[in-house]
Amino acid sequence: MPNVTLLQDFGIILVAAAVFAFAARPLRVPSIIAYIVAGLALGPVFGVVDVSETLELTSELGIALLLFLVGLELSFEKVKGVGKVALVAGLGQVVFTAAGGFGLALIMGLSPMEGLFVATALTFSSTVVVVKLLGEKKELDSLYGRIAVGIFLVQDLVVIVFLTVLAGLGTGSERDVGTMVFGIVKAFGGMAVLLAVALLSAKYLLTGVFGWISRSLEALFIWSLSWCFLFVLAAEMMGLSLEIGAFLAGISLAQLPYSEELRRRVHPLVNFFIAVFFVTLGIHMEVDGASAIAWPGVVFSLFVLIGNPLIFLLIIGFMGYGRKIAFLTSVTVAQISEFSFIFAAMGLGAGLIGPDMLTLITVVGLVTMAVSAYMILYNHELYRFVKAWRVIRLIPDVREAPQEGTLEEDDEEELARLRNHVIVVGMNSLGRRIVQGLRERGVRTLALDTDPVKLGQVEGEPLVGNVDHLSVLESAGIARARLVVSALQIEDANNLLAYRCRTFGVPCSIHAFDVAVVQDLKDIGASHLMDSKTAGTRRLTEALASEGIYG
Amino acid sequence: MTDIAVLLFAAAVGFGVARWSGLPVIPFLLLAGFGLSFVPVVESEFLQDALVLGITFLVFVAGIELNPRRVRRQTRAALAVGLIQFLALGILGFGAARLLGMEVHTAIYVALALTASSTLVVVRILQERRQMFESFGRLVIGVLLLQDLAVILLIPMVTRLPDGAGAVLEGVAATAALTVVAYVLLRWVLPGLLKRISLDEELLLLAVLALLFSFLFLSDLLGIPSIAGAFLAGLALSSFPVNGVVRGQLMSVSDFFTAIFFTALGAQLGIPSGAQLAQAFVLAAVVVVVTPPLVALVAERFDFSARPAIFSGLLLAQTSEFSLVVGLQGVVLEQLAPGTFAVIALVTLVTMTITPFLSRDRLSLWLMRFHPSARSRDSEEDPPRDHVLLLGCGVTGMPLLETLVIGPYRVVAVDDDPQVVQRVRDAGVEAIRGDAADAELLHRAGADRARVVVSTVRRVEDNGPLLEMAGGVPVLVRVFNVEDAEWVEARGGQAVLYSDAAAEGFLEWFDRAGWVRPDELEDEEREQVL
Repeated sequence: MPNVTLLQDFGIILVAAAVFAFAARPLRVPSIIAYIVAGLALGPVFGVVDVSETLELTSELGIALLLFLVGLELSFEKVKGVGKVALVAGLGQVVFTAAGGFGLALIMGLSPMEGLFVATALTFSSTVVVVKLLGEKKELDSLYGRIAVGIFLVQDLVVIVFLTVLAGLGTGSERDVGTMVFGIVKAFGGMAVLLAVALLSAKYLLTGVFGWISRSLEALFIWSLSWCFLFVLAAEMMGLSLEIGAFLAGISLAQLPYSEELRRRVHPLVNFFIAVFFVTLGIHMEVDGASAIAWPGVVFSLFVLIGNPLIFLLIIGFMGYGRKIAFLTSVTVAQISEFSFIFAAMGLGAGLIGPDMLTLITVVGLVTMAVSAYMILYNHELYRFVKAWRVIRLIPDVREAPQEGTLEEDDEEELARLRNHVIVVGMNSLGRRIVQGLRERGVRTLALDTDPVKLGQVEGEPLVGNVDHLSVLESAGIARARLVVSALQIEDANNLLAYRCRTFGVPCSIHAFDVAVVQDLKDIGASHLMDSKTAGTRRLTEALASEGIYG
Repeated sequence: MTDIAVLLFAAAVGFGVARWSGLPVIPFLLLAGFGLSFVPVVESEFLQDALVLGITFLVFVAGIELNPRRVRRQTRAALAVGLIQFLALGILGFGAARLLGMEVHTAIYVALALTASSTLVVVRILQERRQMFESFGRLVIGVLLLQDLAVILLIPMVTRLPDGAGAVLEGVAATAALTVVAYVLLRWVLPGLLKRISLDEELLLLAVLALLFSFLFLSDLLGIPSIAGAFLAGLALSSFPVNGVVRGQLMSVSDFFTAIFFTALGAQLGIPSGAQLAQAFVLAAVVVVVTPPLVALVAERFDFSARPAIFSGLLLAQTSEFSLVVGLQGVVLEQLAPGTFAVIALVTLVTMTITPFLSRDRLSLWLMRFHPSARSRDSEEDPPRDHVLLLGCGVTGMPLLETLVIGPYRVVAVDDDPQVVQRVRDAGVEAIRGDAADAELLHRAGADRARVVVSTVRRVEDNGPLLEMAGGVPVLVRVFNVEDAEWVEARGGQAVLYSDAAAEGFLEWFDRAGWVRPDELEDEEREQVL
């Protein structure tokens, strides 16, 4: 096979990722670190995998899908509120880090050109790392998560402007100043156009169109991905990053009734591509001669790990978000980005910096990503730890930080609401009737179906989703449920549901819609079977008797 | 990025047209991809990569779905029908290909491609018609699974044919070895592993993919095609509950890659020549003409009544996504000319597209007329009158039958399952084997002169002929959906909603279990209640 190398590369990458991720599990190492280390082992250490073009593309795909997913989790309403703080903090941070980094570089004895590159590389924070971790923590749509996402988008824009300017400065002729200005105008114009398209289509177009296709969830999925790539291509055409395009595409689909189901479908795809992305990142890393630059490596890493959060703490703190939110947001920016590597590699290619600078940036990236991953994962614990410190005390605290307070109350209310409830799966005639009956008895009932239209016809609290996904059951609060009922006429789904109910220790009543499915359900341990056909026959008998037609 | 985006757009168009027309999506994905070949925007190297990844996931997922439990009671019939269809189409396909002037090895590829029917297409139709659980549905699924298995396991042998018998035997041994590995994992390793360690979704997906790629390595090591490895990797995951847990995570990944796969495949086809079109036409005709009577005949041997047997035949009359896999494998190994592959793809495209038309009820009813049973049946015996007629008498119909026979009237039962009919007769009740949607049979059973007709047939549409014929006879129909009830009542029948009955049964259980005031129940009590 001519393409066997691709399969092999994929295979090696995924097997290595799996092995390292499993090894990292008992140590509670974040999966991204395991992936990067796997990549380091494959590339720089053993040199097993060469990164092909398709592999490169796969990584990009991972970023696009991840940001698409982030967009799907948020909505215009949720992002709108944090626009100002994101803009101020994002810009402030870029200026501070660039200036501080440049000064530090000069003190460390780097040349001005090297200093410029290192300083620029330090200003980028890694959207992918942070979004991935926040997603794992399920805190993407918390206030600080939203601010962080906003900051990353602002940084993205700044980076684009920066690169355009840098490309213009590289040649310095007058005509290039023109293209430079044109480039910046194009980027901002493009942003405005994309935003407008996203907003307008969300309002007028998508509900109808995606509603039509949503009869087949597979088709809906492919259409949504196409929508995502449409934006990605448009963004690239206008000189914007693919992240921005994918994010806007996601956010325009976020308020569709199927966005929940879409998210669940995109999620595994993201997991797949992101694993490849991080391993590839590790493979790319240039760590030759890292010991020679150990000292500046430590200094710059500390600068990013401590300096960056500090400046954020101040900016956000003084914008009135309170200590906790300011702290949690700040922690998210304590790393440099995969883009920093690309940027440095570009500089190396252009002969502007030496290979030692690329190694330096790589080392700083590796250290900051690893450390900040822990900082983000344990951000609440970290906050409890530093709360007493004097620096934190300097920040004016909003009295019990209202935004944050309401958010937590919301969460708690949500949890309390879903306790001791009955989950009814499948809104066919049987499911609808059961929901109705349960509600008449005053039982809290959660109605679950993949079809939002069907859910609209029942009174229970609705949840759109496919029960095959564990995450759907989790958001239905299965562990705290009193009973799970399935009216579905899908054998596989019912079996799996019964199995999961047993692992959760929750009783379940399953629709045994055919004699053929009964034995399996009994074996799996369903608590109760609704034998609808037998029940129907009994009613037939009654009807024959009571209507005087017979008997 | 443009490449993949363009492929996705084409796939989106394919899905859109399929949704609009209500036809299977695969032909439209191929066509959309084919359309792309006129605008050469996609690099061919990327297409190759997309094909390789796509085919791997397609076959992998097919392996996961290969659960023999889905066939159950129909295993013997499925084995017979599957093998006979496989052999007959293989031989006929080989003959036809030779007659069309193909070389021996090419003809073997083509024959293998013709033997399989499409799981993706047929399962979707069965699901839409809610016939997965009828005995013929099980039969059809069994046949499909068997064919998938046979095709995939034969590929390693066919690819080695040019190297002589020794190489083929090696291929057999290597495939058998890998199958054993898969079986050990399936039976003893993976289910236990799943119970012992709980993985989050990310790790689970990674573990599954790592398993897949390990099998690909192994197959590479053993010198068999990687698709056989991918299929066997899927097989290793096909036991419950492993398959269910995996499916949720893998579904979208495989949806993505399969969509890309079919589109990329279409993009590589090129414009077929006249000769290729002619060849494709002949081969498609072989599939469409031979399959239905063949399957129907064998199915009837296994006591299926005429209509389900004919319908099974019509359902299976298409080539499979695995035909494309076979062809692609040949092209990749340079054992098959791209032109021949185009022929296979055309056959698949055509036969898949007409399957929904073949599976219309009207066609199978019309074909029934040519069925020997339609003429040989003598109507010398007078149809019963003033009796109670029970249509559909499966396990759940039996209690009803017991009640009916106690009553004062003559009882006649109709069912299409020979075993059920035998059981009814053993109980001393008159029974007719046949299809409740067949007007001729209804007449024979005296549906128009009965005292009352009770129908428990599975599909509400099958009551159409009965309701049309019944006239003044009261007809009670057991239906599940409220919409079906309306359908029946609009045609003068009396619907008995069994979803409602089941819901009441559930609520009774719910009340009896003491769940009315559950807030006061402690956890222990809850357990006691159950």
